[in-house]
Amino acid sequence: MNLLDVLPVALLGGLLGLDVVSFPQAMLSRPIVAATAAGALLGDPAGGLLIGAVLELIALETLPFGASRYPEWGSAAVVGGGIFVHEAVHPAGAMALAIIGALATAMLSGWSMVKLRELNARWATSRRDALDAGARGTVIGLQLMGMTADLVRGAVLTAVAYALLTPTMHAALEVWGADVRISRAVAVVAAASVALAAVWKIFHAVPGVRWIFGAGFGIGVVIVWTGGFGT
Amino acid sequence: MTLVLHRIDDRLIHGQVVVGWGQPLDIGFIVLVDDAIAANEWEAELYRMGVPDEMEVFFHDTASALAELDAYRADERAGILLTGEIGTMQQLVDFGGIRTVNLGGIHHKPGRTQRMRYVFLTEPEADALRAMAAGGVVITAQDVPTARAIPLPDVLSGATL
Amino acid sequence: MTAPPTLPLRTRAAIFLRMLAIQGSWNYETLLGNGIGFAIEPALRLLPGGPHTPEFKSALARQSRYFNAHPYLAGIAVGALARAELDHEPPELIERFRTALPGPLGSVGDRLVWAGWLPFCSLVALVTFGFGVGPLGVVATFLLMYNAGHFALRIWGLETGWKHGLRVAPALAHPLLRRGPQEIGRAAAFMAGIALPLAFSRIIGPGRFVLGGVLVAVLVSTVLVIRLGGRMEGWRLALLGLIAFALISVAS
Repeated sequence: MNLLDVLPVALLGGLLGLDVVSFPQAMLSRPIVAATAAGALLGDPAGGLLIGAVLELIALETLPFGASRYPEWGSAAVVGGGIFVHEAVHPAGAMALAIIGALATAMLSGWSMVKLRELNARWATSRRDALDAGARGTVIGLQLMGMTADLVRGAVLTAVAYALLTPTMHAALEVWGADVRISRAVAVVAAASVALAAVWKIFHAVPGVRWIFGAGFGIGVVIVWTGGFGT
Repeated sequence: MTLVLHRIDDRLIHGQVVVGWGQPLDIGFIVLVDDAIAANEWEAELYRMGVPDEMEVFFHDTASALAELDAYRADERAGILLTGEIGTMQQLVDFGGIRTVNLGGIHHKPGRTQRMRYVFLTEPEADALRAMAAGGVVITAQDVPTARAIPLPDVLSGATL
Repeated sequence: MTAPPTLPLRTRAAIFLRMLAIQGSWNYETLLGNGIGFAIEPALRLLPGGPHTPEFKSALARQSRYFNAHPYLAGIAVGALARAELDHEPPELIERFRTALPGPLGSVGDRLVWAGWLPFCSLVALVTFGFGVGPLGVVATFLLMYNAGHFALRIWGLETGWKHGLRVAPALAHPLLRRGPQEIGRAAAFMAGIALPLAFSRIIGPGRFVLGGVLVAVLVSTVLVIRLGGRMEGWRLALLGLIAFALISVAS
């Protein structure tokens, strides 16, 4: 893997990391979009969508309240999608390892967002007098500096994570012992239990929601059991 | 149930309170104690708009809150007691019956210094928190339930910065 | 109430574009404050004398101080505060309004968008994925649907804030804001019910036995995640569980 392999992925990670908070928050950074985009960039959009859907289940839990600390999914899903489709045939363990890579990146990236916010505060504090004087250039400058720093943050993080995790995952897959379907099943159980718990956490106070969920679940199971879709 | 959370947060009613804490704790009502808001109808109306229909919100100045506190504790629903000022919470603590206080967000103002990412305090405010803790109140900083609760000594020392 | 003065289209467009970057310098001291100043600045240029007057500078300084709101509903604040400044409302009243507005705008926006519209659209995308739709279809469904609501909310917020100025509070009683979160919650719960088995099926592949086993395992582990939810977020538990599985698989 060389710089030219990493650069496009890093740029995508930077742009989608920027979308999480700074600009334009159009949810291009959601895993189902970001991982699919990474897959498409590397020639396997279907593979990107597959891992993106699994990560999207986990991301249902994330409620990005402004001041709280949460995983940053934009760059992380690009990394997850990138390392997953890098293994062309998606061997046993690829999904579980890609999720681990994406979650570890999301954790690190969430931390980097906190550091960026602290940096933004330092920049604002050092320009306090100009801000109190209503200096137009300072207000606009702070905004542009914050967004530029966020773009760089996401790109650097994506580059480092992608460059480190791709060979690590390849090495782990060579000694992976578990069966492909069991490996996927474990990954799906992990993701889906987070998703189901999130749905319960977010919506359990809505009157009648258990019955509504149950009705939807029944319909979903019948569709799958009769072999109609998704297989 | 009773008052299950006693929170100091200068943003008062916002997403972390209503969704972040409100949903997992099944909160049925919020008691907002703030002298200025209790005296100003349009401000109270604005805060009321931030609360879902299934959640009640009661506005009090400090004196009337003290008079009603026991009634709220006897409410069968779970409730949050919310103040924007440390001094207000200290008066409620002095009244008795509050064993834990949650620091949810005390933001930057001139004279305050940063203690952790969402807590900025003046020295008198830090002293007020120390006094409450010395009286046996467990004070922690925790913006949302899934975050780690930071004990007061770590907040005051800036250990998490 | 008198009709609001007209905000030139160019100014309106500039404010709207800047609102997309309203969190660009988000920080723990002023939170969204600088973003509000950044977004409102094109409107303040309409103050008599333009951007080089003391009035412009004091208004921009006031608007760039501490503020917080849900980013999509911040348009209500930007519109209302721009109107207040151009109407020459007293600074003390504007300060008081800026103090009272963040909480409700945050609370309403978080419930409606982060805990409502976003998970709903995400679940719809997972349903389309489960039905076998391809990458472009799934991504387009999600982005078009989500952003139709997103942009509509931002535009409505800016217009509403500008129209009502400091008397914007009753606008927050709009049925969509009051009852929307609950109704979206019901729809999202229904979508979640359909999405989960369909998505499992597409991810794992055919086979009722494995799928049945997965559903049972998901129900059991969900209870575990909910029970531990107060101490650790679900995604961290998932990460720990998968690392343990990976170590076993690599060692075996």
